[in-house]
Amino acid sequence: MANVVWLQGGACSGNTMSFLNAQEPTVVELVTDFGINILWHPSIGLEIGEQVTDLLNDCLAGRQQLDILVYEGSIIKGPNNTGTMNFFCDRPMKDWVADLAKVAGYVVAIGDCATWGGIPAVPPNPSESTGMQFHKKEKGGFLGANYKSKGGLPVINIPGCPAHPDWITQILVAISTGRIKDVLIDEFHRPKTFFTDFVQTGCTNAISFAQKVDAHFGKRGGCLFYEVGCRGPMTRASCNRILWNRQSSKTRANHPCLGCTEPGFPHHDLVKGSVFKSLKYLGFLPQDVPSGNSRLGYYMRAGFEKVLGGAEIVLGANREHFETSK
Amino acid sequence: MGTLKELNISPVGRVEGDLDVKVYMEDGVVTRAHTQAAMFRGFEKIMEGKDPQSGLIVTPRICGICGGSHLYCASSALDTAWKTSLPPNALLLRAIGQGTETIQSIPRWFYAIFATDMANKKFANKPLYAEVVKRFSAYVGTSFQTGVTASGRPVEVYALFGGQWPHSSYMVPGGVMCAPTLKDITRAHAIMNQFRNDWLEKVWLGCSIDRYLQVKSWDDLLAWVDENESQRNSDLGLFVRASLEFGMHKFGQGVGKFIAYGTYLHKDHYQKPTIEGRNKALISRSGYFDGKQYHEFDHLKIKEHVSHTWFETVPAAHPWDQPLPTPVPSQNLLSTDFSGKYSWSKAPRYLEMAAEAGPLARVVINADPSHRFGDHQIYDPLFGDILQKLGPSVFTRALARMHEAPRLFTLINDWLGQIDLDGDFYHKPVEIDGKGFGATEAARGALAHWIEVKDGVIKNYQVMAPTTWNVGPNDDEGKSGPIEAALEGTEIEDPHDPVEVGMVARSFDSCLVCTVHAHDQKSGKELSRFKL
Repeated sequence: MANVVWLQGGACSGNTMSFLNAQEPTVVELVTDFGINILWHPSIGLEIGEQVTDLLNDCLAGRQQLDILVYEGSIIKGPNNTGTMNFFCDRPMKDWVADLAKVAGYVVAIGDCATWGGIPAVPPNPSESTGMQFHKKEKGGFLGANYKSKGGLPVINIPGCPAHPDWITQILVAISTGRIKDVLIDEFHRPKTFFTDFVQTGCTNAISFAQKVDAHFGKRGGCLFYEVGCRGPMTRASCNRILWNRQSSKTRANHPCLGCTEPGFPHHDLVKGSVFKSLKYLGFLPQDVPSGNSRLGYYMRAGFEKVLGGAEIVLGANREHFETSK
Repeated sequence: MGTLKELNISPVGRVEGDLDVKVYMEDGVVTRAHTQAAMFRGFEKIMEGKDPQSGLIVTPRICGICGGSHLYCASSALDTAWKTSLPPNALLLRAIGQGTETIQSIPRWFYAIFATDMANKKFANKPLYAEVVKRFSAYVGTSFQTGVTASGRPVEVYALFGGQWPHSSYMVPGGVMCAPTLKDITRAHAIMNQFRNDWLEKVWLGCSIDRYLQVKSWDDLLAWVDENESQRNSDLGLFVRASLEFGMHKFGQGVGKFIAYGTYLHKDHYQKPTIEGRNKALISRSGYFDGKQYHEFDHLKIKEHVSHTWFETVPAAHPWDQPLPTPVPSQNLLSTDFSGKYSWSKAPRYLEMAAEAGPLARVVINADPSHRFGDHQIYDPLFGDILQKLGPSVFTRALARMHEAPRLFTLINDWLGQIDLDGDFYHKPVEIDGKGFGATEAARGALAHWIEVKDGVIKNYQVMAPTTWNVGPNDDEGKSGPIEAALEGTEIEDPHDPVEVGMVARSFDSCLVCTVHAHDQKSGKELSRFKL
């Protein structure tokens, strides 16, 4: 049993939409079978018989226990730190969040906007948006680097644009079933259970990556890293292990990983040449290299593999690994 | 004090941002209403000076509900700016993405957002109330879980081609990223069939899609309801009977003018994308209906007004000619002066008139007997007839949305069947400077992007969402926006629980959380305050 208040600030509701796609458990099962008591949610809140302002004030006064505060969307501080670009129940939303964070058992930030500012925080950041406890890669954010909720944890970050429904529901279930002690968090406050492996783990193009066979839009097979900016080798997330909408993932659909579970998304702040293209030095050396590699080491290994692969074709080696079929 | 507070028992607010509404009432009737969009993020400003393809990543994140629709616009805007060519497969796969996102939204909107209002105690004395509560109550309603769970199925098809829903960027200028295989197509067919079997025919229609599509007039629809027990007791049958019994066809009229940009560019008619060639290439048509006459759609006849918007005042202008917005200080609802600036939304106007966007606008435009450019375009007279006999209302609007599901299912199935696995999916474009326009019909209505690329970066990017059309504030002449107008004249039975106001706002699927402050017109005293 856990009381949940879910609020949206500078949000697109994408995490809510993703949440509604959840299958094991479904959102309805979360309520009926797992005792998640949704006190309020902007699109699927249960009947509560009180006005929302009263509910929030009851939480603040201790008349209503608030076990989990879920926050979706950026914290809007603009203009000039007033927060008046985002009113909610007659107050700047940021003021509600500051107060509720003091009484909540656990605080869960869902999606990139809530975790580290997301797209609204891309320069020039017109709404002065930031994340709950990070601003891009920098610890601090809105609540400050030292913030801990009553349950003793900092903000639990479930990044992603949007977050996968399983990442959301399973953290809620872990808290409500008393397994929060099993939730280990990394340096960016992400639960390690979902954010230790890389997107490349389980990617169906992994052999093409290893042997440097490039992919292109509208073609079957190949790896998207070198030409179209795939960030699968340097992004921690379980997209290719648990799949999306039970069917696929970006990289399986020939869509480069955008690195949306890492702070800093959208990477390179959308500068010219960074969208669906790999930024390169001298026109052929990728600026971003897979995690766990030095640039020089990666260039040497990749160059060796490319040269060797070319030589093998000349020598008539069988390359059937890379044949694709409709 | 005379100030009463009460929470609307309906569990649904509206997603994406906050909308506040101030309503003035006299003798139980709304005399004036102001809508206030209460959140600003500045997406257009973020894209200025950035990579021309930024919109493909950024704009789907404007709205997690209509992300695929934003992507459809963003890729189309670049197609016209860069003068790309599009293979038929790409047009099909984009239409499938748009179509699956929209058909997903139909049951999700109906059960999670709209129908729970019909279980409001206002209707407790009606004979059908018990059955409505049994089926449509949040979480425990027998159809609620079926409908909400079914809504996740069509976007599984989106994920097969786009990798995930929401927030894929698989539509790119020149085509699509993916090159599906046979198993993707067969799987997509199977998922859609399950959606039909689990919900669309079994729960919603109570008959085959083919039978339902024979309904061409209001009388046909009433006859369809009474044709047999299965149809009469289907969710659609119950919805029609209960709506008429509850009087939902009698309020929420609106401005009576409709705008649709149309969508689903036909695979054979838009391989050379141009703005001029767009109207003729659409499957679901574009147009403007002024209440009497139909007009061919021309995006150059759109202007946006900002005199009541929290942006620096500039003359009303077409999006290409507008500067990127500069925010000015905003207020909360209680301290807002509604004679001045009072919303983050702009006020779009077509030929200087406010117009309603959304499913009702689409089916009204698709009932236009003229302005049809070929057999590939939908002609469906039903809502021409319904508009004449019933007029616009909360019921008409909701019925229009639900009416789209069977036809859209059929179209998606056809498009899947037309994909040529040996054909191209992408033609690499040449990146040039220029102006572009991309548009579609999001589930909740007309959506468009305008782009100007200069020196290889974005100089101007303007997004106009259906919610902008519907919740926009007064224009420069003080004329109301569509939801403002739809609230005016609404009878509020119980001023302490004005469920009618919520139903009007929700019938537009305004995509925002609404706070309604109900004021007595004479005393100005606040009567009640609600979350919708």
